[in-house]
Amino acid sequence: MLPTPEVKDIDYDKVYEPSEDSFLLLDCFEQEQDYIRKRFGNTSSPLITEIGSGSGIVSTFFAKHILPKSVVLTTDVNPHACQTTLNTAKQNQTENETLRLDAAQMNLTDAIRPKAIDVLIFNPPYVPASEVPDIPKDEADPTWLDLALLGGEDGMVTTWQVLNNLQTTLSQDQGVAYILFCARNKPDEVAEKMRRQGWQVDLIISRKAGWEVLSVLRFVRN
Amino acid sequence: MKFLTTNFVQCAVKSCHSSLTSFPLQYEECQLVQQEQDYNPEFIVHMLERLDWNAIVQVAKDLGNESLPANKPEDLDPIMEDSQAVLRDLHTLLVETQIVEGKMVCKNCGHIYYIKNSIPNFLLPPHLAN
Repeated sequence: MLPTPEVKDIDYDKVYEPSEDSFLLLDCFEQEQDYIRKRFGNTSSPLITEIGSGSGIVSTFFAKHILPKSVVLTTDVNPHACQTTLNTAKQNQTENETLRLDAAQMNLTDAIRPKAIDVLIFNPPYVPASEVPDIPKDEADPTWLDLALLGGEDGMVTTWQVLNNLQTTLSQDQGVAYILFCARNKPDEVAEKMRRQGWQVDLIISRKAGWEVLSVLRFVRN
Repeated sequence: MKFLTTNFVQCAVKSCHSSLTSFPLQYEECQLVQQEQDYNPEFIVHMLERLDWNAIVQVAKDLGNESLPANKPEDLDPIMEDSQAVLRDLHTLLVETQIVEGKMVCKNCGHIYYIKNSIPNFLLPPHLAN
């Protein structure tokens, strides 16, 4: 089993604490490592982007264990999360093994060039809520964490923004996206809709976590 | 923010995406730091294939480095001695050069983005948000 990155010195009032969903993504990538390495072979240097990197545990795990020859560019609207992601990557590198990871404060992938991302990772704010909260105006605002959780109707408002853009964000030949869902997001219906739009959608891993059922779907072009 | 990342980002304003002048961003008043990173020549060779070389040259110029060739180095092979020096230089530039503070300006709409503590901020004010 691949070791879980160390996370420490994090203010969990401001940054999402690694939880069942984060660990499900780690297990997902452990299971997918052969598929991913095969997909990117030895002749490419892929760009990995995680939207909403939070503590940075998933991106650090990916950079360290799954595709060490990649470059990672994480995004998060939360400035505390960006800083924490950088710190977590740093804390988990050794003298002989530095991680190529940058963190940018950004909404989704708004400032990343089209068709640049080879692997997109997203653990969305998937909790159904009356609406998606606004982005706070200053760093000291106490509501940054809400953005990591609340996903509007069906918990799918933010996730659909990403899915509807997948065609332009993912690189043409190799692009692949891993997105996490809870049962209340109705992932089967989402998968069906995406299949009708020309995507191959596969369920990679699924697990009961407390009273939630979480799953990760993989999206590639047909 | 690594120099390399300048090749992956552009203005976040949607109407700028179709403009040819919105990439690369223009880098101003930047503070650079060299940060040692593992040297992986294969990574550089394969990364180079996908990079927009004109943008690399442009950003390097913004940052005061005018020594890059106008054309992308080709046929680099990590086992050839004359390639090694070029690959080392590219590693130093792309992976080890960090922009810790500075401004990024969109040449299409003029919007200014800031880099602080090595983190570029591409959040848009509400009236520009997509």
